[in-house]
Amino acid sequence: MIDVTNLRKKFGDNEALKGISFHVTAGEIYGLLGPNGAGKSTTIGILCGLVKPDAGQARLNGIDIAQRPVDARRVLGVVPQEVALYTEFSARDNLKFFGQLYGLSGADLHARIDRVLERVSLADRAKEPIEGYSGGMLRRLNIAAGLVHDPKVVLMDEPTVGLDPQTRASILDLVRTIASAGAAVVYTTHYLDEAERLCDRLGIIDRGTILVEGTLQELREAAGAREIIALRGVFKADAVTRELQQHPEYELLKASDVELLLTVQRAEQHLAGILAIAGSLGSVREVAIRQPSLESLFIKMTGRELRE
Amino acid sequence: MNPSIIIARHHLRRVVRNPGLILLLVAIPLTIALIEYGAFGQTAAAGKLPPTKVLFLDEDGSLASSAVPQVFAGSPVKDMFELAHVANRDEATRLFKKSQAAALIVVPKGFQDNLLAGRRSELVLYKNPVQSIGPDIARSMLEMTVIIGNGLYGQAIEPISRIKTYVDAQREPTSDEVADVSRGFFEAGRRMTGLQGLQNMKVNVIRPGEAEAKAGFGNDPKLFFAYVFPGLVVFALLFIAQSLAMRLLRDRMKGLQRRIAITPASGWAVVFGGVIFMVVAMLALLLVLAALGAIVFRLQLRDPIALLTIGVGIALFASGLHLLSNSLAKSDRGASFVGGVVVMLLSLVGGSFVPAEQFPPFLRGLAMLVPNGAAQQGFIDVLVHKLPLAQLGGRLAVTWAWGLAAVGLAMFFERRRLRL
Repeated sequence: MIDVTNLRKKFGDNEALKGISFHVTAGEIYGLLGPNGAGKSTTIGILCGLVKPDAGQARLNGIDIAQRPVDARRVLGVVPQEVALYTEFSARDNLKFFGQLYGLSGADLHARIDRVLERVSLADRAKEPIEGYSGGMLRRLNIAAGLVHDPKVVLMDEPTVGLDPQTRASILDLVRTIASAGAAVVYTTHYLDEAERLCDRLGIIDRGTILVEGTLQELREAAGAREIIALRGVFKADAVTRELQQHPEYELLKASDVELLLTVQRAEQHLAGILAIAGSLGSVREVAIRQPSLESLFIKMTGRELRE
Repeated sequence: MNPSIIIARHHLRRVVRNPGLILLLVAIPLTIALIEYGAFGQTAAAGKLPPTKVLFLDEDGSLASSAVPQVFAGSPVKDMFELAHVANRDEATRLFKKSQAAALIVVPKGFQDNLLAGRRSELVLYKNPVQSIGPDIARSMLEMTVIIGNGLYGQAIEPISRIKTYVDAQREPTSDEVADVSRGFFEAGRRMTGLQGLQNMKVNVIRPGEAEAKAGFGNDPKLFFAYVFPGLVVFALLFIAQSLAMRLLRDRMKGLQRRIAITPASGWAVVFGGVIFMVVAMLALLLVLAALGAIVFRLQLRDPIALLTIGVGIALFASGLHLLSNSLAKSDRGASFVGGVVVMLLSLVGGSFVPAEQFPPFLRGLAMLVPNGAAQQGFIDVLVHKLPLAQLGGRLAVTWAWGLAAVGLAMFFERRRLRL
């Protein structure tokens, strides 16, 4: 359904994509994870046909998006991060407009609108101007506008940002429903727990490169059984780094004047020693031990937390 | 249905559902036209006006004739008039042609003799044909003076008769007789309780024929609006276009344009949809304004085809200008600033507020080279000078050339911004 092969894109001197490749099959949810500036937006832009790649190829349902953008977009549904809807119109009118742009009309269009409104649980308020909708309702309608034409490929760009847990859960259920209906879904998010719960496969992207890719199980294995110890306080970063590097059992991920991140086997056994080193070269104010997870893998692969 | 049509229709529906600001902008030309008419047209506006220059020609050279100009020089109207004596009518005509005077008052020879003899006396008022409000103010003032004078004359007929007796007898009155005459005038003043009186005097108003008049727009309210309204309509269209374009720009900033761009509609179709929306909206508003002009100002919308042809040209330009500004601007504030400055400059050069026909030759030529100036003059040519479409070639060429260029550039840059 989605075939991305060796995509490259430069903006001036900035190489946004350095040859990324991935593949998403029908019914699969592919999570694309990366911090700001990693290359997610450029990838999404190329898949939407809004950005022209310098090299490589992106195919949606077998159609090269660069060669036949209009045809490729017929099978594509996009749910943007921002709520992009006409607030002076009702939900039904919004969906009608976007449906018409996909070539739908008449009874078929109205049937699809009814169906998608049911899926996002907005059927009973479909005729109201959406100015009065809550944030969660607007998000659901935002998703509906990308699905009204029953696309085979769906790109969802952080569709749950800023939502309460209940609304997030309902949207995740909706995404699963879309995939189970046979669509290939690319899902970007900052919420690692969301990616862990939702995605069949994940790709971690940073600085224009997909660092690691696989199922959640594969990625957990890649992260190993090591736990993360995070220290916050005031440190002499160079001195702490030199000292910790003398202990091969510690793997230092990040060292700054305010934060230290390192992985170890069985953190509770090493915590006292680490605190002694860090305390002798600074002052520790906060200590956290994190279990092996997608987050620890992400930090290990990128040296950064996802929010950075 | 063609995606461009779907997009254009969608945006038009939005305007219809939420027309607030647009309706407000439509009111601008109507309001300004009425204000201009109040200030420069046939009805005086409230508030202080610049002094009206009145010329005075005394052909009688008598005591009575010398009293006439005092009416314009004393309180409470001395600030309203500027009085100038002229030696003859030729001098007055020269000043009229330079538009340096509003009216000429002539006291013909024999004025005092007729008054004393109880015969009909005449003052003559010449009105400058290229001015409106000044001549009428002078006329009103003179007529009021005549009414008062006639009232006084009726009440003072007895002492006037006595003066006539002494003049006829060609003798000097004694001091007692002078005192009697004075008492007679004093009593006449006391008896004067209203403006009633004999109608022995009248003002004969003469307006030189239209053939001698310089072309102007103040003679007739309909003509006034036919001259002034087109410029204001074009001005309003430029601003309304900016308002509509800002809606599209805000759509872009909210991600709506991007959302449309990722549908199967091609990039050119998306861009063209915006152009169609703008041009159709402009033409619809132009029709509304034309209808309002016909209803409110009694404009005769002759030759609709010619008017529509000019209208499409200026609608293209207004749309293209602001879409171009949108496509080049990085923010709505930037687009708003650039668009506003360009519109104001064009309005000043093109003569939106004062018809370019009234400009000095160089500025008039310049005005005809800018799209709004050419369109405005095209409208005036049709409405006032009654020119047919075939004779509007220059105006149409300028308006349409600018319009097509603006739309072409706007589409090019907008498409480039939207690429793939």
